[in-house]
Amino acid sequence: MDCHSDAELMAASRRDPAAFGCIFDRHASALLGFLVRRVGAGEAEGLLGEVFRVAFERREAFDPGRADARPWLYGIASNLLRKHRRSEARRLRASARALGGGGATLPAEDGAIAALDAQAQWERVAEAIESLPDAEREALLLFVWEDCSYEDIAAAHEVPVGTVRSRLHRARRRLREAAGTEAER
Amino acid sequence: MSDELGWVRRLRPDDEVDDRALARAREALMARIQSAAAPAAATPGVIPQLAYRDIEAALGWLARAFGFREREDGRFVGPDGRVGHAEMDLGNGGFFMMGSHGGHGLGSPARIGGASQMLCVYVDDVDAHCARARAAGATIRAELEDKFWGDRTYEAVDLEGHVWAFHQRLGSPAGEED
Repeated sequence: MDCHSDAELMAASRRDPAAFGCIFDRHASALLGFLVRRVGAGEAEGLLGEVFRVAFERREAFDPGRADARPWLYGIASNLLRKHRRSEARRLRASARALGGGGATLPAEDGAIAALDAQAQWERVAEAIESLPDAEREALLLFVWEDCSYEDIAAAHEVPVGTVRSRLHRARRRLREAAGTEAER
Repeated sequence: MSDELGWVRRLRPDDEVDDRALARAREALMARIQSAAAPAAATPGVIPQLAYRDIEAALGWLARAFGFREREDGRFVGPDGRVGHAEMDLGNGGFFMMGSHGGHGLGSPARIGGASQMLCVYVDDVDAHCARARAAGATIRAELEDKFWGDRTYEAVDLEGHVWAFHQRLGSPAGEED
């Protein structure tokens, strides 16, 4: 089955559901990584099951014009993550604490904010990510954490590429504002 | 990468993916896919409920005579310690429920003097079924007979007077003996 595109496998799985196992084998590791980064290993495992359950049930809705199913799976994951905001916030704050505790300062070109307490800086960034509108946060984290292209994010969230571009633009502005660097620019 | 994207990048947790979690999720997915592929054991469109004076006695008798099996978790025992509800699988995907005499305004034929319905159940080997029922003391109301529409059937009356018809489609491998 390895030589078949995701679209072909997805089509085959309408008649032969076991073909869907190949879709899992190709993408589950990447999806689990994404989910673990977002909500931690405990919740990620259950969510991974959810993502593929939903994908299997909606497999007939997969656009056969798309060869790669991964953006579509990311999109399902993004949707499911909306109900896990609290764990996500906990996780981001833990990351911020770890960075701040390690003495890492925000890498800023002009050093304008280096004087601030490192811990507080990272927490501000974490909070800013948390409080982004869902669509902007999903686009931002797919872009930065998962190295998704604009096109992939557009496919994941079923919006035009221009919308992804403006969502990322807005998200970045909000982060700069939150970190207090916007005024210097 | 500009500052703010670099900050987000730094906040990315660096967890490893746990292969055991992947294996568990795959197993669960494949089990779900298999059950979706198999014809679902759909809830039958009609589930009969029969009234018995003594459900517990009926459960034992029906299992012996007709080979029905009590469904797990189907039993309800009332405060008086008597079984007030139970369910039995017919062995062909269908099932029926049993309630106490008087419940839902339904009466046991043993009390009201006759049945008002007959339940038709398809079985794999109706001859063997009939022999078993007879041996268990069931009243055979109508002996085994090949019907013109292509079934071989007999009718039996259970311990409280409910009428059951057992059918087998002729032409199936098990029916070749006659």
